[in-house]
Amino acid sequence: MIEIANAIPLLVPHSSQSTESNKTGSWRFLRPQFDEKTSPCSAACPAGEDIARIEMLSAQGSFKEAWEMILRENPFPGVCGRVCPHPCEGVCNRREFDEAIAIHAIERFLAETASRYDLKPILPRLTAKKQRIAIVGAGPAGLSASYFLALLGYSSDVFEAMPEPGGVLRWGIPIYRLPLPALRSDIARIESQNVRILTGQMLGREFLRDAAERYDAVFMGCGHSRTAKLGVPGEEMSAIEDGLQFLRQLRQGDTISLSGVSAVIGGGNTAIDVARSIVRLGGKALILYRRRRRDMPAFEEEVQMVLEEGVELIELVTPVRITAEGTQCTLTLQEMKISGEDSRGRANILPAEGKTRELRVERVFKATGAEPAEDWFNPPDKTKISLALSHTLLFCPDRGPALVFGGDLTNETKGVAHAVASGKQAAMALDILFHGGIEAIVPKLTACRVGQGPSLSMEMYMGGNRRLRNTHVVSYEEINADHFQFQPRITQPRLLREERRTSFEEIDLKISTNLAIREADRCFNCGICNQCDNCYMFCPDIAVIREKNNDERRINYDYCKGCGLCVVECPRNAMTLREEDI
Amino acid sequence: MKRVIEGSHAVAEAVRLARAKVISAYPITPQTHIVEILSEYCAGGTMDARFLRVESEHSALAALIGAQSCGVRTFTATSSQGLALMHELLHWTSGARLPIVMAEVNRALAPGWNIWTDQTDSLAQRDTGWIQLYCEDGQEVLDSVLQAYRLAERVYLPVMVVLDAFYLSHTYEPVDVPSEEDVDRFLPPYEPRFQADTENPCAFGQLVPPGAYMKMRHNIAMAMEEALVCLREIQEEFYGIFQRRYDPVETICCNDAEIILVTSGTATSTCRLVLRSLRNRGEKVGILKMKLFRPFPAAMVREATSRAKKIAVIDRNFSFGASGIFAQELRAALCNTPGHPPIFGYIAGIGGLDITMELLEEIYWKTRDTAFPEKESVWMGV
Repeated sequence: MIEIANAIPLLVPHSSQSTESNKTGSWRFLRPQFDEKTSPCSAACPAGEDIARIEMLSAQGSFKEAWEMILRENPFPGVCGRVCPHPCEGVCNRREFDEAIAIHAIERFLAETASRYDLKPILPRLTAKKQRIAIVGAGPAGLSASYFLALLGYSSDVFEAMPEPGGVLRWGIPIYRLPLPALRSDIARIESQNVRILTGQMLGREFLRDAAERYDAVFMGCGHSRTAKLGVPGEEMSAIEDGLQFLRQLRQGDTISLSGVSAVIGGGNTAIDVARSIVRLGGKALILYRRRRRDMPAFEEEVQMVLEEGVELIELVTPVRITAEGTQCTLTLQEMKISGEDSRGRANILPAEGKTRELRVERVFKATGAEPAEDWFNPPDKTKISLALSHTLLFCPDRGPALVFGGDLTNETKGVAHAVASGKQAAMALDILFHGGIEAIVPKLTACRVGQGPSLSMEMYMGGNRRLRNTHVVSYEEINADHFQFQPRITQPRLLREERRTSFEEIDLKISTNLAIREADRCFNCGICNQCDNCYMFCPDIAVIREKNNDERRINYDYCKGCGLCVVECPRNAMTLREEDI
Repeated sequence: MKRVIEGSHAVAEAVRLARAKVISAYPITPQTHIVEILSEYCAGGTMDARFLRVESEHSALAALIGAQSCGVRTFTATSSQGLALMHELLHWTSGARLPIVMAEVNRALAPGWNIWTDQTDSLAQRDTGWIQLYCEDGQEVLDSVLQAYRLAERVYLPVMVVLDAFYLSHTYEPVDVPSEEDVDRFLPPYEPRFQADTENPCAFGQLVPPGAYMKMRHNIAMAMEEALVCLREIQEEFYGIFQRRYDPVETICCNDAEIILVTSGTATSTCRLVLRSLRNRGEKVGILKMKLFRPFPAAMVREATSRAKKIAVIDRNFSFGASGIFAQELRAALCNTPGHPPIFGYIAGIGGLDITMELLEEIYWKTRDTAFPEKESVWMGV
């Protein structure tokens, strides 16, 4: 190679000074910030579970932490993972993209995983308080109240008439939907939180009067355990059986033999449970409902399954007379006609004149509305209500203990999750009442609302990180769907129809760990930071700082120019761009 | 080894032999064949290089600016609109003194859409600080790419190797593809004088005050002058290994020529045949083939034309409001030479129109029969 003499120097613009000397943050007029918001599922959950975070932890394999997240808001993950009609999934933003997350399947998976490894939850508890609370009824509402009171530092006694706690969960819902070990596991954990359950306690009306000596408050969660009257001639005959009583007998382990055709009157979950149990006992069942299928108060999935199992549904009929001859009953059915719809879209019905028909069956089961077994279980005169809340009624007499009614006694929607909501609301309301008086209840509860309410968060009430969450509920439009890929929802493994019809084995099977992780990973984690670090990757100024010791992310405003890329590229709306105060 | 290959593949073979480490390009007809085969070479392991897919030519060059700053040999190829889109970064490349090599296939600019050959796209980039080498055939393309790396890495300026669309890019010709050993002797691994280094962090291309900026620009101007000297040295060395040589301007029968036809690209080959035919008829004609356009070899042009009576420049390009661009450059090179021959400008083959032997002969007769150019440019075949 020929080198030329006096090679020309090479001048290149070059600097070893750090660009940190240029504080580009001074250019900013918009300010991005981490601003965790509320997921629609958590707002729709009556128990206010922090679902977005539960799914995030599950996807990361932190099953114990995920399970503890549930337990901060709901003592019944094993039960709710099975029998809750999961309103959370109905509002899942992922539905707009492909399909909702199978939240209930993951909840059940977490409960079963915790049982399998005999995990003991570490839950924050407040210091012990002197007040004592009596709880009437060890159903889901009463047990929830006792559990949340225990977290708040109160000891309570739970009185239960039946020989084992659980209420409708123990004595109503059939075991093919809720097996006994799952229920017992949830209840045992509640008891381990310093809750005393006294079973076989038949209380009388005088209990409320005597309670003043021993208790500072009484929670009434006695539920609806008696089927309401049909108001039809012939109803009082012994051949006409009570659906709730029938389910209770089954759960007591009574041997019941059934043959022939049974008519089940009603359109709620009890009617479905009765009909499906009849099929499993070898009988044939007909459901008689006065409105249309889509008006039935029973959960849609349950209706679908009962029909799959061979039960016939007769719509738009109501019995007007029942007679018995030997081993058979004759039902006189009045056909109904539709006359418009009410505000909720339910059919208004009228008898179709002259249209009646007779139906001969072997047995008749009443499974219409239910009501409290005793009159004194009902809330007293409405004029004496001190405070009416979404899931509880509060009575504070001048003398004697405060009285809180909850569960099915007050809830418009009868369901476990609403019962949990009732117990939680009662525990919070009593704690506020004892420390700040009745006027403080509404403002303090409002501060613990998940989204716009009515769901409440115990974590927020106890001062956890969740109280920093923005109450804005994230919509699908606020999700950056470019960062997600289509992936179908898991298919719930289930017994075959033939297997279901001949046994009381649990229908829904558990899902494997890898399926649970995959399903949880589909979750958008609406509104919460799951450390995906898109903000970090997209920031042109390296102004997003990842803390080394924890999962925190923060913005270095010395260099953030406020371009807003991080906010736009956040897949889940966990950031917000605001105008800078000038 | 002689192989019959496309002009596009002559580029690709040279890039393979040059052992480029990062290739980034966005496909555009008629450049596509070049990068198609290179992407196969990268994917299949024939080349130990990264092929970066990007969303535009602007990004293609931006990616190479980053890669070349890290001290590796790089390559890109483009054409027409793609080159126009790169414009901003063409300036950046030379200003940052990055020896990037690009193959540029001459194609007409839209609208109307036209994919055929026209030199306006590359000539419009004459002030961007890129060295430009124009090629006549497939062998010259392959050799020029190898030489381009030597030249670029010597003077720290980027080099554009320019070839005509289709007439050259898509035409199969016998090309001697040299052995790796021979190429390695000619083109050793790139040893950068500066590069990004994580051990010693620094910034390139930051704010520079006017005085320093002017010094840097002057430094680039000096590097361009140096390139003119270096290219001749590199040719000697290349000749020593491969027995082929390409002068910045090639003179063909210019010593006794009364009329010199100035050509570039593939039109030169056609002109060689015209020259033979005219010489057989006793016409004193010569050819000046322009290989190097930037830096412009003004002294060589002056020397080569010093004995001619007339010069006819054939431009397959046009600078609107002025004239053919090669003609402009020649006029500028000769204007201070007293008694220099008159320069006739002809515009031919725009948008891929064929430049035939008949057309070139017609240009010759027109020049011979006219005493002095009546206007700056005569459009042939319009």
